Amino acid sequence: MTGSKRAVLLLLAVLAAALLIFPESRQSPLQTIGRPLASAIALPLRAVDALNQAIETIRNRYLTLRHVREENRAIRQELGRLRMDNAQLREMAAETDRLRALLRLRAVIPFPTVAARVVGRDPTNWYRSIVINKGRKEGLATDMGVMTPAGAVGRIVKVYDYLAIVLLIIDRTNAVTGLVQGTRDEGIVEGTEKGLTRIKYLPLLSTVKVGDQVITSGLAGGFPRGLPIGHITRIERREAELFLSAEIEPSADFVKLEEVLIITTPRETSDLPANPFPLRPTPPDRRDAGETR
Amino acid sequence: MRALTYTALILLVVPLQVVLFDWISIGGVRPDLALVAVCVIGLHIGEREAIGMGIALGFTQDLLSGSANWGNLCLKPVIGLLAGLASRNLVNLTLPFALGLLFALSIFSGAVMFLLKSLAGAGPDFFAAARGIILPQACYDAVLGVALLKLIQRWAPDRAPLTAITYE
Repeated sequence: MTGSKRAVLLLLAVLAAALLIFPESRQSPLQTIGRPLASAIALPLRAVDALNQAIETIRNRYLTLRHVREENRAIRQELGRLRMDNAQLREMAAETDRLRALLRLRAVIPFPTVAARVVGRDPTNWYRSIVINKGRKEGLATDMGVMTPAGAVGRIVKVYDYLAIVLLIIDRTNAVTGLVQGTRDEGIVEGTEKGLTRIKYLPLLSTVKVGDQVITSGLAGGFPRGLPIGHITRIERREAELFLSAEIEPSADFVKLEEVLIITTPRETSDLPANPFPLRPTPPDRRDAGETR
Repeated sequence: MRALTYTALILLVVPLQVVLFDWISIGGVRPDLALVAVCVIGLHIGEREAIGMGIALGFTQDLLSGSANWGNLCLKPVIGLLAGLASRNLVNLTLPFALGLLFALSIFSGAVMFLLKSLAGAGPDFFAAARGIILPQACYDAVLGVALLKLIQRWAPDRAPLTAITYE
């Protein structure tokens, strides 16, 4: 190392020592000298800082989004599972309600019944029938009446060991003897094309009116007397005909049939008790209309 | 293998139609799956199998139906025979022909069923039945049958058409 270089190094060392040792107040001239440089540096510094901030923000957002996405996916899965559970629970609750209604009805009606589940509908579009999951092994036979808590549904037309076919009362080929509750007029109830029922052969002088309740008469068809069939919605009076007929809106909902009761021995017992159908009471106006007759 | 397939069809087609009525019905009208199956078998394989399957599927349908007669048992083999004969006398079975044939056979089946119900004394008005049941079901049957036929042809395209002369 040459002498000049040594001198420069020494000077730098002394300056450094002086800067470290000098009191803070003595350093202000240096700061004054460095201020323009600091100002010049501030601009790129801020720019770099802003860029850094932006990158940091984007990174944070990405991480947050990623976390939220995962969380969202988990929540969606949980929601789907809960919805499924909820639907199942609702279905079970509805089934329990229906079965409870069937049990209540079974407890109050004075004849033996067998409960069955509806497992299918007629394989053709030409007949209105249902397939139930009970058959000969459970003591079922043809012509037995089938009902729900709402009222009469149909009668068994075919029976096998483990299933049976029930022809609904809304089928045109089915016929049940009915009775207008208010006027005590008897007739034949059969299905119509519109999926309703009609009572035929009512006396021409009958005072039957819209809203009257029609019940089973118990004379034939596998039903005891007193099962609700429906209420009259329209009366058909045609000239030169010896009888009246009336359209009936059935009490039972044939679209939503899921469980039914089969009456196994209807004719050996007496009539139904006063009100065995608590779920579908007759509307007050119609009941009043029936009682005033 | 073929016997196994036919057994599975007999055991499944009608129960599927009975149980899955909600899923397969459009506007309250369901296709006649047995008719579709019999027609497709007649068109793709031949009238002998179609008649056999028609008897089996028609019988199963009548067992589970509320009808008092055995209309399907009589009708389905006839439909299988017609589909088989029509197919046998074709050099190329085109899809438009299959569509038309299925539609016509379904109309024929519906008309016979209407007559049977009318003979029982409880038939609906013919035009109401045609509008509400026969025509919609025929459309449904035809479309379903052609789709099924197309699938089967893609899966097993080995139908060997015979002319009437060859057949004789």
